[in-house]
Amino acid sequence: MPVGALDPVIHVPARLRIVATLATLPPGDALTFTRLQEMLDLTPGNLITHLRKLEEAGYISVEKTGNGVASRTSAALTHQGRAALDAYAAALRDLIGGL
Amino acid sequence: MSGTHEEDLASTAEVGEAFDPRAAATLLARTRRQALREFDIHTPLLSLIRAVAVLAGYGAIWWSVRGQHPYTGPHGPVFVVVVAVVALTIVAGAQVTRRATAGVSGPSLLQRRAVVAVFVVAYVAVLLFMVALYRAGVGAAIVYGVYPASAPLIVGGAALAGAFAAQEGWLGLGAALAIVAVAALSAFTGPITVWLATGVGCCLVLVGYAAAQLWLQKA
Repeated sequence: MPVGALDPVIHVPARLRIVATLATLPPGDALTFTRLQEMLDLTPGNLITHLRKLEEAGYISVEKTGNGVASRTSAALTHQGRAALDAYAAALRDLIGGL
Repeated sequence: MSGTHEEDLASTAEVGEAFDPRAAATLLARTRRQALREFDIHTPLLSLIRAVAVLAGYGAIWWSVRGQHPYTGPHGPVFVVVVAVVALTIVAGAQVTRRATAGVSGPSLLQRRAVVAVFVVAYVAVLLFMVALYRAGVGAAIVYGVYPASAPLIVGGAALAGAFAAQEGWLGLGAALAIVAVAALSAFTGPITVWLATGVGCCLVLVGYAAAQLWLQKA
């Protein structure tokens, strides 16, 4: 299996870490932007960029609640995102087994 | 979400870096392990604190009732020790839970609250049943000895086992069932020794659980 067969949306270190982190939460649970940033040690701009790409692919849903100082952004892995990570992990296993 | 300098950097890095599949597999495994540890509300440290607490609480009661003939049950200052130990355990558990679940929202929050409600109802029912035993004229050896030493752990352990089973937490399920077994078997040792047997037995179960949790974290 060629490396190109890996999902290009997930096959980027920062996005892989985001998706893997969100996948450890029970289905339906969301994590705030702040906690995710703390856990992954990414800059806000970098995290926003990657979250947007994942959102565009339909792998995560981003919800913003409240206004101004009290506003809170949370991200959750969608069913599609969970399935994509499972498929990615399976593809990785196949690829490494064949190397 | 607006475009930023970091966005450009990220995009550049994305295009320029060759991400080796082996490195990806390692990163995936490491991230999962770290995230599981961060979100875990059943930490090895908490298990150790509970192990010390159960030994201290049950041990203090055993110390206060040893040599009683006839058995009348724990009295006086030992209740201060028990209340302090219970309070310490609750505070430690709340701290760990607050830290682990910071920023997390969704269905699991409701599930955790339901588990807490089950525990509260179960313990109130255990206490009420103790009052019922007393009013029915059951002897002190049961009302102040065998029953309060074993029943709370049998009921609490069973409730915890159910919660672990629902989350497929097999190690926790094993530990919870072991506590139920220890509490039930200790009841056969009589109203005085039951306190020591339960305290030591549950302490050993919790220490073993903490060791297994640590081993799994490092595996």
